[in-house]
This record gives sequence, C-alpha cells and structure tokens, in this order.
Amino acid sequence: MTSTLKGITLKGSAELVAEFFSFGINSILYQRGIYPPETFTRVTHYDMSLQLTTDPKLKNYLTNVVSQLKEWLFECTVQKLVLVITCLETNEVLERWQFDIECDKSAKESSAPREKSIKTIQEEIRSVIRQITATVTFLPLLETPCAFDLLVYTDKDLEVPEKWEESGPQIIDQSEEVRLRSFTTSIHKVNSMVAYKRTDSV
Amino acid sequence: MTPHQVNPSSVSNSCICRYFRVLFIPANQQNECKQNFVGSSRQGSLQHRYLQLDQEKKQMELSHKRARFELEKAAADRTEHEVDRNQDLLGRIKKLEERETDAAKNLTEKEEANRSLRKNLDGLNKKLEERDARLNTANQTISSCMDEIRELKQKSQNQEFTISSQTLENQELQEQLDLQRRKYQEVSQLCQSLQAAQSSCSVHLTKIKELERRLALQEQDIAIVKTVKSEVAKVPDLEKELKRLREDNSFLRESRENCSLLKEEVEGLRKKLERMEKIKEELVNMEIEKERLTEKLQAWENLGQSSGLNIRKPEDLSREVNQIQQREIALKEQNYTLNSRVRSVERSQSELRAELTQQRGKTLEEQKKRETQDSLVRRLQNRVLLLTKERDGMRSILGSYDSEFAPTEYSPQLSKRLREAEDVLQKTQHHNAELEAQLTKAQEETGSLKLQLQAVELELESVKKQQTSAADGSSSAAKEEVSTLRQKIEELEAERQRLEEQNNILEMRLERHNLQGDYDPAKTRVLHFKMNPTSLAKQERQQEVESLREEVTSLRELVRSLQEGGAVAHTQDYSCVSGVSLSMPPSKEVLDLRKQMASSELRNQRLKEVFRKKIQEFRTVCYLLTGYQIDITTENQYRLTSVYAEHMDDSLLFKKSSSSGSMQLMETEFSKTLGEMVTLHLHHQKSIPAFLSAVTLDLFSRQTMI
Repeated sequence: MTSTLKGITLKGSAELVAEFFSFGINSILYQRGIYPPETFTRVTHYDMSLQLTTDPKLKNYLTNVVSQLKEWLFECTVQKLVLVITCLETNEVLERWQFDIECDKSAKESSAPREKSIKTIQEEIRSVIRQITATVTFLPLLETPCAFDLLVYTDKDLEVPEKWEESGPQIIDQSEEVRLRSFTTSIHKVNSMVAYKRTDSV
Repeated sequence: MTPHQVNPSSVSNSCICRYFRVLFIPANQQNECKQNFVGSSRQGSLQHRYLQLDQEKKQMELSHKRARFELEKAAADRTEHEVDRNQDLLGRIKKLEERETDAAKNLTEKEEANRSLRKNLDGLNKKLEERDARLNTANQTISSCMDEIRELKQKSQNQEFTISSQTLENQELQEQLDLQRRKYQEVSQLCQSLQAAQSSCSVHLTKIKELERRLALQEQDIAIVKTVKSEVAKVPDLEKELKRLREDNSFLRESRENCSLLKEEVEGLRKKLERMEKIKEELVNMEIEKERLTEKLQAWENLGQSSGLNIRKPEDLSREVNQIQQREIALKEQNYTLNSRVRSVERSQSELRAELTQQRGKTLEEQKKRETQDSLVRRLQNRVLLLTKERDGMRSILGSYDSEFAPTEYSPQLSKRLREAEDVLQKTQHHNAELEAQLTKAQEETGSLKLQLQAVELELESVKKQQTSAADGSSSAAKEEVSTLRQKIEELEAERQRLEEQNNILEMRLERHNLQGDYDPAKTRVLHFKMNPTSLAKQERQQEVESLREEVTSLRELVRSLQEGGAVAHTQDYSCVSGVSLSMPPSKEVLDLRKQMASSELRNQRLKEVFRKKIQEFRTVCYLLTGYQIDITTENQYRLTSVYAEHMDDSLLFKKSSSSGSMQLMETEFSKTLGEMVTLHLHHQKSIPAFLSAVTLDLFSRQTMI
C-alpha cells in the first residue's frame, strides 16, 4: 500500500480496487459453489474471514486478470468488470455479477492524494462483500455444473493486450436485477449489482 | 355282551384306586403330624377298613371268577349256537376272542395292581406297628418326665428359701452399693478433675513441645531475620520505590482512564469534526448560494431602484406586476382610444390635406390674383405717376396760363377745368385708395392663408408625431403578438415536460439495459481473458464428449461382434479392439463364479431335500412308534397329539424350562380331563413317558370301547 493513512493516490486506489475484486470474485465463486468448497482456504482480511482458492489453475488465472485490471484501473480506462456464470450443459448465462467502475479521470492529472482513509474504504468494501455473501439467500440454486468468466468493459481506444480478446456482453435473457452496495475510494467508485435468470417457477 | 361284562370290573378297579388314594393322603398327613395320642383309635379304624377292603377284594375275586365262568359259559353257548350258523360270525368270534385276550390282559394287569396294593397295605401295617412302638416309648418318657418335675418342684422350694435369704443379702448389699455409689461418685468426680488436669497437662505438654518447636523455629528465624535484616535495610528504599511506583501506577492508570476518555473524546470529536466538515462544506455551499441569492436580490433591488419602483419583497413585485398589468390594461384601453382617435385624426388629416390642397389652390389663385393685383397696382401707380405728371404738366400749363392771363381773365373756364381735373384726381385717388385697400386686403388674406397653412402644417406634424408615438407605445398589435407568443411558450413548455418524461423513461430503460450488461459499442469494448475457465471447461467437456462417443462406437462394434458371436469374433476382437481384452477376463471370472454359485445352490437344495425327507421320515417313525405327533408351536413349547385322540384339538402342551432343562406340562382343555393321571404319573412318579403311555392307553382303550 503506497498511500498513507491520511489520503489515497490513484495508484493506491487502483490497488485497493483490484484487491477488492480478487477477494470479491473468490467469495462469489465459493458462495455460488462454482468450485468445490474443499479447494478454498480461510483467510482473514478486511477484519473478516474470507475464502481464497487453492486451485493452482484458478489462482493463476485470477492473478493474470487482476494484475491487468490493476493496470487499466490505473489508466482509468475500465468501465465495468463482469463475472458471468454459465451453465455448461446449455451454454446459458445464469448469473451476471456486474461491478460498474466510475473513474475520476481528473486524478490522472493531479497527483495530489484524496482525503479518504483506507479504514473507511475497507469498511465500505467489507459491507459490499457481506452483501455478496448474503445474496446467496435469494439467488436461485445452481443445479447444473457451471463455469465462470470475467468480462472487462474498457474504453474503445484501448489497445487489446496479448492473451486477451473481444467478447460479447453475455446478457441474460429475462433477468432479475438486484443492486448491491457500492463503495468509493474517491477516485474509483464501484457500484455492484447482480442479475440472475428469472425462474418460471416463482 | 362281553364289553359290558368287562366294564364293571374296570369300574371297580378305578374305585379301588380311589380308595387307595384316600388311604394314602391321610397316612402322609399322619406321618407329618406326630399326634401320638390319637394313633390307637385310628389304628382301629384302619384295621376295620382293611377288613372291609379284604372283603371287597374277596367279592371282587368272586365276581371275577364268576364273570370268567359266565364268559366261558357264554362262549360255549355261542359256539354251540354258532356252529349251526354261517361262518361269517367266525370273524366276529375271532375279534371277540381278541378282545377276550385283551380283557385277560387287563385282568392280569389289575391283578398286578391288586398285588401292589397289597404290598402297600403290608407296608402300612408295618408302619402302624412302628408307630405303636413309638407311642410306648413316648409314654415311658412321660412318666420319667413326671418324676423329674417332682424333683424340680423340690428344688424350686429350696431355691425359694435361698432366694429369700438372698433378698436379705441383697438389701444389705444394696445399702452397701449405695454407699459405694456415693463413694464412686466422689471418686468419679475426683477422677474427672484428674482427667481434666491430665488433659490440661497434656495440652500444656503439647504447648511446651510446640513452643520448643517454635523456639527452634525462631532460632532459625533469627538466623533468617539476621540475614533478612540486612535486606530489610534496603526495604525503606524499596518501599519508597514502591510508593513511587504505586504513585506512578495510579498516575498511569488515571492517565490510561484519561487516555481512554480522551480517546472516546477524540473519537467523538472526530465524528464531530467529520460532521463539522460536512457542515462546513454545506456552509460554503450555502454561502455561495447566499451570495448568489444576494446578488440576485441586489439585481432585483437595482432593478427596483432603476425602475424606480419600490420593490423590496416578492409581494411588492407581484403587487407591482399587478399594477403594471392594470396599468397595461389601462394603457391598452388608452391605446384603443388613441388608435380610434388616430384613425379619426388620420381621417381628419386626410380631410385637412384635401382642404390644404384646396387652400393651396386657393392661395395660388389668390397669389395669381395678387400678382394681377400687383401688376394692376403697378400699372395703376404708373398711371398715377403719369397722371400726376400729367397733372403737374397740366398745372404748369395752367400756371403758365394763369401767369399769362390774369387770374381774373380766365377764371370760369379754368376753374371749371381745374375743378374737373381735381375731381378726376380725387376720383383716381379714391380709386387708388380703393385699390390699395384691396391690395392690403389681399395681402392680409394671403397672410391669414399662410397662417392657416402653417397651422395646418403644425397640425399635420403633430398628427404625424402622434401617429409615430402611437406606433411606439400602442401595443395593441404587440399585445396580440405577446399573447400568441405566450401561447406558444406554454405549448413549448408542455412539450418540454413531455420530452423530459420521455427522457426519464428512456434513461430508466438505459439504466436497466446498463444493469443487464448492455453497452455502447461505439465507446466501449468488452474484453476477456482468452484462457478463461468457461472456455476451458467447455473444451474439456467437448473432449470428454468426444472420448465418450468414441468409446460408445467402439463398444457398439464390440456388442455387434459379440452378437454375431463365436470364438472367431472373440479372437478378432482381441486383435482389433484394445478395450475388449480388458473387458473379457472379468466376464470369464463371473461365469466361473456363476457356475460355482449354481453348483453350490444345487447342492444346498439337494441337502435341503434330503433333510426334509429325513425329518419327515423321522417324524412319521416317531409318530408310529410313540403314538404321538410332536409339533413345535413356539420356542420351547411342544404340542403332542395322540394317534388315538378323540378330537383333533385334543393335545398336550409341554414347555421346556430354559433353566433346568426339564419338561413341564401346560394346561390345555384336554389336560384338564386328565387330572388323575397327571397327579399319579407326574406328581408322584414324576415320569412323563409313563404319563404319556397312560394317556395313550386310556385313549386307546376308549377307542376300542366304541
């Protein structure tokens, strides 16, 4: 963490947000049972216990994506991060966890740190992760084997890096949306929400 | 006939049995209770009974003999009768003979029973004799006892004497005892005091020991104390230090409390500060807004000042506006009136113009007239000049005439002429004056006309001015325009609201789309990692499906080849399909196991059959040999049904007690009817086989009877 306790810089903000995504994605994967629970290990962060994967492949993938995301966050070129959960049998999108990122591009020019303590930011992040955990109560059960994918919405003028490719938005047909809490580092604002396929039975 | 004859014997037999039983039970009781005094009378009765029984027995024997005699007689008679009859009866006779033999058997049995009874009787007699002997001995003992009693009485008298003497002694002794007791009490008191002293002594001793121990300890302590004292010297310093530390401690505690308080305070203050900052921001915003508002207000006030209206409040403004509107209305009315006036003025103006043109024409005419008048005047002046010159000439002439002629000479004519000339002059002068008057008159007329023209012109100008001012101020047309414009503004406002609503709806939709993940392809592009878990999982799945498909096809081929069958296919499979070689051995094993299982099952079945057969055989043999069918109803319970049972339900129930292993007869409807046999064979003889045989015999006999 480069930022001091008093304020926060663009770099610190990007790191903080990327860290949040890392933990958030891990806890979604654990809560939704995309990966078996025995492949997760308990870790204490943000003053709460969180689940982190131990699956080497998944770990590698997440570090790749999150480091790239950090770069984009630093450049303020990322608009959204979407975690898409797809049913493997029907190739149908069942859930979309969308994190809208609002970048304050003025922070790129002025390097002056913003006045917001990491403690309060972490408190906000904690409440977002708590809410993610709580959403399991109303989300429909994933009965079929599922896989996930991470989509990043970036500015059009961005150069596509190696190992990355363009993709469709993976929109759910007939979805219900629920807005979750948001948090802001005063440079990046992250609004979270989840959309899930409407089940006919309800 | 014969069975009837046999019957009484059996009945009498059972009677005997009953008697014996009766005999038995009291005898037992007698044995148990040893009532010696009653024995003799009983013996008498017994002897009597015995005699009776003897007689009966004799009778029975007699009857027996008689019966046998009669039977033989009857048989002889029958044979005599039946020789003549057909041979069919021979079979019967044989049967009867068999029965006879049975009866004979019975008889022998009964004789045996009689014998045994006799034996019993003998035994009883012996017992009775023994009892007599015992009674005699008892009597002897009684007499000896009486002697003893007498002796004892004497002894008791002696003892009474001794007792009286002893009571006296006793009294003395009691007195002594009292004395002794008193002494004892004293002694015991002394003793108690002694014990107390001893106990105190022991306590003191223990105390002394303890004190000694303490002394030793104290000596040790003193040694320790000496060593400690040196340390104690340091104590004050330490105490001081302790005090200091305590103070420090208390101070620190206080300071900690203070600190926590301060922390809380700090927390509170921080919160306050945050709130204050927020408030400050709000304040700044408010101030900015305030300034904006004051500026606005200033502008308004300026406006008010500039406009000269006394606008200080919005009410004033509205009032002002109302006033202005009223004024506007008034002005509008004025405007309308002015407009009408303008129109009338225009009309009058046009009239005036026409008049003016007329007047101009008139003035022109007048000017022409004047010019003509002027020329006339000039001509007339010229003529006047000429006339004056002529007059002067005439006068000179006249003078000359006068001078030449005496004034008297010429007189009438001249005077006449003069007069005439003077008249003419006067006339011309008069005419001149008239013309002059006419001229001045014309001149006056033109001046007045000019004045009139000027007035008209002024009027025109004023009218023009009025017209222009009316065009400026009059807002009739403008008002209409304003109203139309207002309508337009209202329409536009409505349209704007509609558009705003539409805009809101569209924004909501956009938001929803945004929530669903829609994006603007012109601005945004969606990227994802090439090697993401979904695509990997999909690939894996596809691979799996393909491998499964391959397996399915190979297996299908295998199945087909197997269906085509034969060892040939087998060998081919071995060569061509690798998976088959793996799948074949287990099938062989399975087949072997199945064969084994089948053979073992077969063996089992055979064994079962053999067992069943053997069991059946055993049961039938048991049934045939013992005459009982033995069934197991429940565990440890066996039901025995006799071959000769009268009813199907007649059965005996035996229970095997688990503790001792012995069998016990349970009560059934059938066993209730067998009370005698139960008591005889089970209670006395304690033999179940005997009981069962008896039952068999009984039942068998009943069957044969019918």
